[in-house]
Amino acid sequence: MGFVDYVQAVIDGLLFGTTYSLIGIGFTLVFGVMHKINMSYAAASLAGAYCGLVGPQLLGLPAWTVFPLSIIAAGAIGYFIYLTCFRFIPLASPLATLMSTVGMLLLLDEIVVHSTAGMPQNYPAIYDGDPVEIGSFILRADLLGVFLVCVAAMAVLLALLYRTRLGLATRAVAQQPVAAQLCGMRLQAVNGLTFVIAGLLGGVAGAMIGASVGMLSPLISGPITVKGLIVTVIGGLGSIPGAIVAGLLVGAAENLFQALRNVTERDIYVMLLLFVFLVLRPGGLFATARGRD
Amino acid sequence: MDFYYSLAQIIGFHTLLGLSAYIVLQTGQVTLAQAGFFAIGAYVAGMLTVLAGWHLVPAMIVAGLAAAIMACLVGFPALRVRGLMLVIATLAFGEAVRLFFFNFDYQIAKGDVKIGPLGGEGFRQIRWFPENGWTSFEIMLFVWAVVALVAGALWWIDRSRFGAVLRAVGEDELAAQSVGINLTAVKVTAMTIGGFIAGLGGSIYAHYTTHIEHANFNVLLATFAIAYPILGGLRSVFGTIVAVIFVQGFLVEGLRFMGDWRNLLFGALIVAAMNLRPHGLIDAATARRLARLFGREQRRA
Amino acid sequence: MRKTAVLLGSALVAAAGLAFPGMAAAEERAVIIKGFGAKSGVVRSFGINSEAAMRAAADLINSKGGVKLGDGATGKMEVEFLDDRCTAEEGISVVRRIASGPALVAIGPTCSNVAEPLFGVLQKKAGDASDSGLQFPIFTDVAVKGGLAKISEWAFRNVPSEAQMYNSLFEWVKQTRPELKTIYAGVEENFAHSRASWYAVMKEAAPKVGLEVKGEAKWLLEDTNFSQQVREIKAAAPDILAIAAHPFTTCGVLKEMRRQGVKVKMLIGLTSSSSLETLQGCAREAEGIIIPTSFAPVTPEAEAAAKQAARFDGSLDLHSAAAYENMFILKKVMEEQKVMAKPDTVQADREKIRKGLAGLKQTDGLLGTIKRTDDREAIKPYLYVHAKDGKWAVLHNPLTN
Repeated sequence: MGFVDYVQAVIDGLLFGTTYSLIGIGFTLVFGVMHKINMSYAAASLAGAYCGLVGPQLLGLPAWTVFPLSIIAAGAIGYFIYLTCFRFIPLASPLATLMSTVGMLLLLDEIVVHSTAGMPQNYPAIYDGDPVEIGSFILRADLLGVFLVCVAAMAVLLALLYRTRLGLATRAVAQQPVAAQLCGMRLQAVNGLTFVIAGLLGGVAGAMIGASVGMLSPLISGPITVKGLIVTVIGGLGSIPGAIVAGLLVGAAENLFQALRNVTERDIYVMLLLFVFLVLRPGGLFATARGRD
Repeated sequence: MDFYYSLAQIIGFHTLLGLSAYIVLQTGQVTLAQAGFFAIGAYVAGMLTVLAGWHLVPAMIVAGLAAAIMACLVGFPALRVRGLMLVIATLAFGEAVRLFFFNFDYQIAKGDVKIGPLGGEGFRQIRWFPENGWTSFEIMLFVWAVVALVAGALWWIDRSRFGAVLRAVGEDELAAQSVGINLTAVKVTAMTIGGFIAGLGGSIYAHYTTHIEHANFNVLLATFAIAYPILGGLRSVFGTIVAVIFVQGFLVEGLRFMGDWRNLLFGALIVAAMNLRPHGLIDAATARRLARLFGREQRRA
Repeated sequence: MRKTAVLLGSALVAAAGLAFPGMAAAEERAVIIKGFGAKSGVVRSFGINSEAAMRAAADLINSKGGVKLGDGATGKMEVEFLDDRCTAEEGISVVRRIASGPALVAIGPTCSNVAEPLFGVLQKKAGDASDSGLQFPIFTDVAVKGGLAKISEWAFRNVPSEAQMYNSLFEWVKQTRPELKTIYAGVEENFAHSRASWYAVMKEAAPKVGLEVKGEAKWLLEDTNFSQQVREIKAAAPDILAIAAHPFTTCGVLKEMRRQGVKVKMLIGLTSSSSLETLQGCAREAEGIIIPTSFAPVTPEAEAAAKQAARFDGSLDLHSAAAYENMFILKKVMEEQKVMAKPDTVQADREKIRKGLAGLKQTDGLLGTIKRTDDREAIKPYLYVHAKDGKWAVLHNPLTN
């Protein structure tokens, strides 16, 4: 293992990290607006990607349709989660929605298992050619594509939040729900829409995870949930730029530790580092001065 | 009948796991470290009875203490953070513990076979109960004696001044601090007690399954540790017990006749339960009614 | 729970009521065999296939006159399959539930991490009064991690011996492809079976035929990014790559190898990966991978069995084929041991079955005779399959040569 290998490991990690970023943004977006955590988010993103497979596998549509279908399905699942896990539970009980979304996570995973018998499903890559070689480094061409798609999705999201009336309403509800309501905004509608937007974004993430792994399996929903949560807190709750940076960081750190140490010890260091980081910097990288929680 | 005794044992050690999170949740801390303490209890107790040949009871106490010490050590730094940050920090700790046991080898030769924990392959043959001729019924009585002791102690704490202090910290830290409560001391104490209880639960778990491996102590188990008290309600220890019976007795075993539908219902019914009873199966009102049933009005904190 | 007990109770009463007039007329009794394994989570397909195989075998046995019981009556096999979610707790619970009922024997489980604790719960030495472990025979079809049956005398397995399969696979490689000199492995580190298959089986077997072991790349069961491991494989540049991993990561690694343009002269896979899952996940990349397995529809019996299982919506692979064989082995044992299958002989019948299984020196299998060892394991006939045009095809059959 030489220096080149470590740099290569970090590059791989950064490229893969964009999918973590997207999942992290989804968590952070819902948290920013409702101050609640949606534990089923990553599972819903993957479930969306699974739904996308219905197009080519059952309806005989061309392979590329899997991507838009995944994204639309994930948006719909997002709204479904809002209705079942948030809409009718009082705002003042954060533990109740934590639990209801854990239940939803288990339910979504099991639905996926039942419809595929748990077998891994082939998922199309966005680009299937040779990797790009720069000097002694190799870049996976399709991961570059995934990276670009993820960045584009983030850009669209930021434009939506900061350039449209809908985004204004979302931010208003996030900052002052009561005041926003007094100004005539419909709280439930804005909350529901946030879930749809976060869901669509999750659909992009789920599709890109499928594309970069090349397969979907219920096995990945657990690790992705944990990684997404980690990214969310490292980036600082509610901070979108924070989630982007943190996703890349987590991807790189994970790969670097694997190169430096053994794969069986890799996650110990990642977890200990996370623990120390949170204790020393409880607000995350881009902490907002919002006080507790 | 054997099956119901065995099910009662499962409910027993899951109750201990739930109660270990219950006391920490009283102070408003959501922790995902309980599976880690459960793992420490399981491995320590298993090693003491299998490798050192101890009796189970002292092994359990040492296992509980080991988990409690770890909880105390983790408590100090971890409680600097709050809310979701704490959830993730404790999750990181719990995973680190699990991964430690993933890499942990300590085997000694006994006769012609090697025994003891062996990393990813797990720790085999923790057969203290059958080797000493305990029947399922006796094991069940033993497990529930431990559960009764722990639940009784927590019931008493809930009623004591210390219980009121715990809830005060849980309700409003700032107010609690301003009346002179030492936040760190209270939170770390709750964490330590929780660690001890989880350690006890883990040691029973190890002797129930006879084989433990790191994968048993995953995030899902940690999630269930907090799920029991949340599902059951934080007003009474009975809530946790009711929730464990609901999950292990009804959702897992009771619905078995549903076949394939059981797994789908598992998640769906948890969602439904939280929608119908957002403050837990036994919320404040039910707890008061229960207290009246026992002939005395519950003193509110 | 009370409700379930009432339901179960009334079902039993109803069943007894139905059985009673039957008994008077045709002397026909139910022989209850339960299956258990994973029917949820990522290993759900194993449970589905095992259940189908068991039902298919029972159907065939019953249609050919059933089991001849000890008193001359006819036994009809009844199968029910329970889900253990691949967790130790539920596995133990399920078996205790089965053992509390009228079942004579159980076939399962799917996962090695259930089999290991489960066998620990059983009585270690049969007849040892000081050991209060469960006294119930279990005949495992799937859980394949080496040497588990020695944990208890009530545990029996009909799973292939990996040591033997890979030993002879490497010998065959040496004979047919002598130009291959080096071997490197990819190991799924956090899965006990995969680990054991490389470290305890293949890594021991390879040097015996003169292959140089160049090390191993490691990953975890749920890993998704294999770029680093594939670079390690590339750096080692082995002739043979052995992948001791389950389909999900096997496919992940193979896809990454294609992207990085890493090629080896021969790919060898884990026996459990010779299933549909691998082809579902990555048919193109898995092309050519060689896997030793204890089942392929190469004999008339095996072909008929595969068709019969398909009627019950399951596919026969090396694991579910074992469940199918187990049913026939159990039928034979029950007849030899004069099992009564009466409500008051349940425990005695279980002991008879245990004794019968322990006494077996060889059994009939779908591919030929299966030898039984003293520590209650099987030595099964095997053959090598490889992935060809998106299907598993037989590459070499040591039985016919």
